Amino acid sequence: MFDATDSAASGSTPGVQAPRVGVFVCHCGGNISDVVDVKRVAEEAARMPDVVFTTTHMFHCSDPGQALIEQKIREHALTRVVVAACSPTLHQITFRRAVERAGLNQYLFEHVNIREHVSWVIEDKEAATAKASRLVRAAVNRARLLVPLDKRRIPIHPAALVIGGGVAGLMAARDLGDRGMKVTLIENRPFLGGRMAQLWNVFPTNEEARPLLSDLVRDVVKHPLITILTGAHVVNSEGVVGDFKTKIKIDARGVDERLTYPGNAIAACPEETISEFDFALSRRKAIYMPYPGCFPPIPAIDWHTCTKCGKCVAAVGGKGINLDAKPRELTLHSGVIILATGYDPYEPLLGEYGYGIFPKVITLQQLHRMLDPEGPTAGALPFDSNTPVRIGFLHCVGARQIDGVNAPQPDGKVKDYCARTCCTAAMHAAVALRERFPKSHITSFYQDMRTYGRGHEEYYEQASQLGVLFVRYSPWHPPRVDKDRAGKWPVVVRTNDLLTDGLPIEVPLDLLVLATGVVPHDISELVTMYSCAVGYDSFLLEVHPKLRPVELAVSGVFLAGCCQGPMDITEACSAASAAASKAAAMISQGQVEMDPFIASVDEEVCTGCQTCLTVCPYDAIVRDEARGLAIVSEALCTGCGTCAAACPSSAIQQAGFNDRQVRAEIDVLLGPVVGRGPVQAPAEVVT
Amino acid sequence: MSQVETVQPPAETETPLAWEPRIIAFLCYWCSYTGADNAGTSRLKYPANVDIIRVMCSGRVDPDLIMIAFAQGADGVMVCGCHIGDCHYIAGNHKTMTRMPLLSRVLQDFGIEPERFVHEWVSAAEGDKFARLVRQVTEQVRQVGPLDWPGRMYRRGVGHGEDLQPWGDQA
Repeated sequence: MFDATDSAASGSTPGVQAPRVGVFVCHCGGNISDVVDVKRVAEEAARMPDVVFTTTHMFHCSDPGQALIEQKIREHALTRVVVAACSPTLHQITFRRAVERAGLNQYLFEHVNIREHVSWVIEDKEAATAKASRLVRAAVNRARLLVPLDKRRIPIHPAALVIGGGVAGLMAARDLGDRGMKVTLIENRPFLGGRMAQLWNVFPTNEEARPLLSDLVRDVVKHPLITILTGAHVVNSEGVVGDFKTKIKIDARGVDERLTYPGNAIAACPEETISEFDFALSRRKAIYMPYPGCFPPIPAIDWHTCTKCGKCVAAVGGKGINLDAKPRELTLHSGVIILATGYDPYEPLLGEYGYGIFPKVITLQQLHRMLDPEGPTAGALPFDSNTPVRIGFLHCVGARQIDGVNAPQPDGKVKDYCARTCCTAAMHAAVALRERFPKSHITSFYQDMRTYGRGHEEYYEQASQLGVLFVRYSPWHPPRVDKDRAGKWPVVVRTNDLLTDGLPIEVPLDLLVLATGVVPHDISELVTMYSCAVGYDSFLLEVHPKLRPVELAVSGVFLAGCCQGPMDITEACSAASAAASKAAAMISQGQVEMDPFIASVDEEVCTGCQTCLTVCPYDAIVRDEARGLAIVSEALCTGCGTCAAACPSSAIQQAGFNDRQVRAEIDVLLGPVVGRGPVQAPAEVVT
Repeated sequence: MSQVETVQPPAETETPLAWEPRIIAFLCYWCSYTGADNAGTSRLKYPANVDIIRVMCSGRVDPDLIMIAFAQGADGVMVCGCHIGDCHYIAGNHKTMTRMPLLSRVLQDFGIEPERFVHEWVSAAEGDKFARLVRQVTEQVRQVGPLDWPGRMYRRGVGHGEDLQPWGDQA
């Protein structure tokens, strides 16, 4: 069962010392020792071959516990260390460092989990001790075959790429720039500012959105370390953390800074289309600027609408407009990438709560455009401020939907998550409307009022004080929006009010505002390119919501803002700053460390069958055509070991998890019960 | 220094203990191993018959290793990985997904009952699922009884040790 040739072979391999194993079993203050007889575990481990020292300790993770490990490594010239304690996710790193401090390679350490996997889950003390002993002995047998490995260090290209020019992307770029990092910010629309630029006034400070945004844009634009590319789309991405090569295509803008009177060019343009910036409330020209003060402060040409008639060129005397401009491609090198791709407001389905059927059913985003003094209606609503106008807000449109109640989206799913921002946004708008139209009657149809943030609840209170009427509807019976049979009102909302014990009510309205949810911006191509994890709600998924909240599982790629989930501007900015500081920390290290569990090919054995090429998720294996062999690219290999499992001739082995090491564990786990056969004289046991 | 222990064929052990199923579980480090940790931190109880071997990805689990486990005397083998779509290595578990049903059929051809080989996805949060799975697998292996492949081979005079292969009668 114990392969004598293994230890002999490893002893003779250059750089690999003959195994002298030390086993350290932790009490974990009783967490383990109350169930497991740790002393017996240590004694049984001592009978394993090559074990020269075993002991137990109350807390091996404590400073004295670690010091003991270091001391015994030196004292007994240990060359392999096994610690049986909690889960390796907790303290593997602690013990690896201790081992390294004692002058041993940290990968000559093996961690055994006898707390989460034994003492906390198994009630029978005898069975728990037997299992702990089995696991420890298996680890010893595996440890005998460990070889020193070096952490892989990859140099980092000292530059960052921020994808997305909304508030989160701008924030991340500014923070990185302020830390002295070179940043390239790319935005696929022709103008910066993202969704925030479309808002009129923002909670919780009641500030106008665009002045706030232009402060940030100004900081970014004048920053010497930040390069901004608008109209840029990611075409392809290669490489890994440290050296991402991102190929981008930059749309031709058709206009440059020499254009002095953009107004003349825009006025001359005969082609019109729907303005996406104003959520289809207005029309714009083929050469356009979304709003005065936008950045870049020059118009862009929408090539889908432009007929290249040349009237704009003529209107400005031919200076600054080039209708034959071509898109260009370039490759950006960066060490890290921040995704700030943002969200799209939920677009209600045709007929959902009367949207698209009744002209007086609009979304909250459209209301913001209408209230905006620079918007399509110059801030005016189509009501007289003296008339008792009736306005309704309907919450949870495209949010918190129930499968079977709400119509599914094109992807077959319903939007069952809370969009988090719309309750406060609707209350904020309701307060603004009440103040502007003191005679108005405002009704809010809601499921649950979720004004959760700091300073958000105040809007709810203020709305209540201003006489906004609240009607609570059941998500199982959403309100119906119909036309008024009498023809007096544009729309009528019918529902059962849960606050009055389900009383059926009918509310006629002049205007119904749908507080719509938040859906991720479609970035399916980026998701495939960077192998991003995506949650059930289609937003990007962080590694851990608490401990690693802005990191993707792909090393070197960070998340900022609403690509990760619904956030208000405050939260998106915090997330962006967090992502920037994580990214800066990684860059300033100069290099990234990665686990060395990569695959390697035994060229003597490889037959060049190319099976491994088909299974590698990272295309890290290529075929050396000249020699007919598979070659693993160490920089691309992430160490999953899939190729090692697939190789029909076992020519590929994964460092740290090679066949012999895994088999060494199986051998002991399934071996005879200890104490039966003749074994060597036990090693020193200190308890 | 390293003294080699001679292997006692299981058939010749002195006092046969009451039979308990011996099950090997291969768990991927990122989801299922952490899921098993989660079962521990939630103090869920399950039988002690399942021994966990950690691999970085369920895609690393070579069917050979499973065959070897059976050949060495396992009564059951479990392979757990991340749910499809959650793989830390993009698609390592896709390979597991295609390999394991195939292996299950091969094992059945050798007379190894399907109850003995379980392949399931366990996420890092599914501690209760892992505990339930361990209970269920232990119970179903207990129902089908000992496999005792080494003993069978020994009784057939096939030998023992390294040459104990489930597929061969090589001496």
